[in-house]
Amino acid sequence: MHVPDGFITPKLYLPAYAVSAGLWGIALRRFRARLDEETLPRLAATTALAFVLMAIALPLPGGTSAHATGIALLALLFGVWSSFLAISLVLLLQAVLFGEGGITSLPVNALAMGLLGTSVAVLSFRLLRRIGEPVALFAAGWLALNVSAAATALVLGVQPAIARSAEGTPLFFPFGPEVVLPAVLIPHALLGVGEGLLTLFAYRIAKRVENR
Amino acid sequence: MRHRLALGAYLAAVVAATMIHDPLVLAIWLAAVLALAGRDLPHVLKRAVLSVLLFTGIVSVSYLALSLLEDRFSGRTLLLLNLRVLLLSSMTFLFARKADLFEAFGFSRSLRFLLVLVYGQTLLFRRLIRETREAFASRSIGRPGLLARYRRSAATGALLYEKSIRNAAESGQAMRSRGLFVD
Repeated sequence: MHVPDGFITPKLYLPAYAVSAGLWGIALRRFRARLDEETLPRLAATTALAFVLMAIALPLPGGTSAHATGIALLALLFGVWSSFLAISLVLLLQAVLFGEGGITSLPVNALAMGLLGTSVAVLSFRLLRRIGEPVALFAAGWLALNVSAAATALVLGVQPAIARSAEGTPLFFPFGPEVVLPAVLIPHALLGVGEGLLTLFAYRIAKRVENR
Repeated sequence: MRHRLALGAYLAAVVAATMIHDPLVLAIWLAAVLALAGRDLPHVLKRAVLSVLLFTGIVSVSYLALSLLEDRFSGRTLLLLNLRVLLLSSMTFLFARKADLFEAFGFSRSLRFLLVLVYGQTLLFRRLIRETREAFASRSIGRPGLLARYRRSAATGALLYEKSIRNAAESGQAMRSRGLFVD
């Protein structure tokens, strides 16, 4: 879920940038040691993949569709830190070139999707693998999407409390968590089914390709 | 240098716009941004409006409904939210139109390489998605079932993964052959 520019107070997005910058530094350091002809193009390709995965339409019952995120798939194929960097770059390109998401919401989106979502995907896959790989893959996809959506919804939900005018009116986003959370989580619970299925099918196909 | 200055000005303007809470000031600022767009005004305004319409529309309509029900509607709040979002979006598209993103990020050689590679790869992948979608449609009689469409989406995802690995290897070899990585 992309939050556009203008809905998050600088009281939150500026510290989020500080936190993200530190984490980008950690992710880059892990790469820089090996930043060579293999890792730089690999990161570029991963980022491009993340970009277009977000363009894949997931069909939903009723003839509608929604966009995948590919968070879990990326995390399971490339690891948390590579995916975090790739997703952050995607968010930057989307914000500046296509006006999707935004510069002020970029660190929130990056932390929610790129770090929290990918970490949840990897952890849940490792924990649930003993039950069965298909269950673990589906759960990784579903959880990555819903946990990152919940985090974003919480960030939006606290805006009225932390950014109000002297008269008490909200300055950025007008709804509290009691409104935002159900409004976001209910449709994402359904979207997560598509994301889980995409993760399950695409991961297995990708592993078959790797083993060829 | 011009593009980097434009990037700096854009980022400063974005932060400043989120610190102003007067709808009149934001409206004047928006008018100035649109005037600065010049001949690109229709393009910038259209893209700005379309990019925020869905999310902002839902938020605005929901706010209108809920606040009227609770008798706490503030027209100023609604105006402030919409003006700020439109202003930020307009500034973004104006920046994208007037500045070269790759030159703007030229302060970091690695970042610029990465952005150029990513952009190039993205264009290739987007074409691939379009082609697989058209191929699927041309080989389907009637509307495919939900499971078939999921398999198609997943196969496309996996195809892109395979392409990304191969393209990464090719790009690396091309960069090495042009002397970008010296042992």
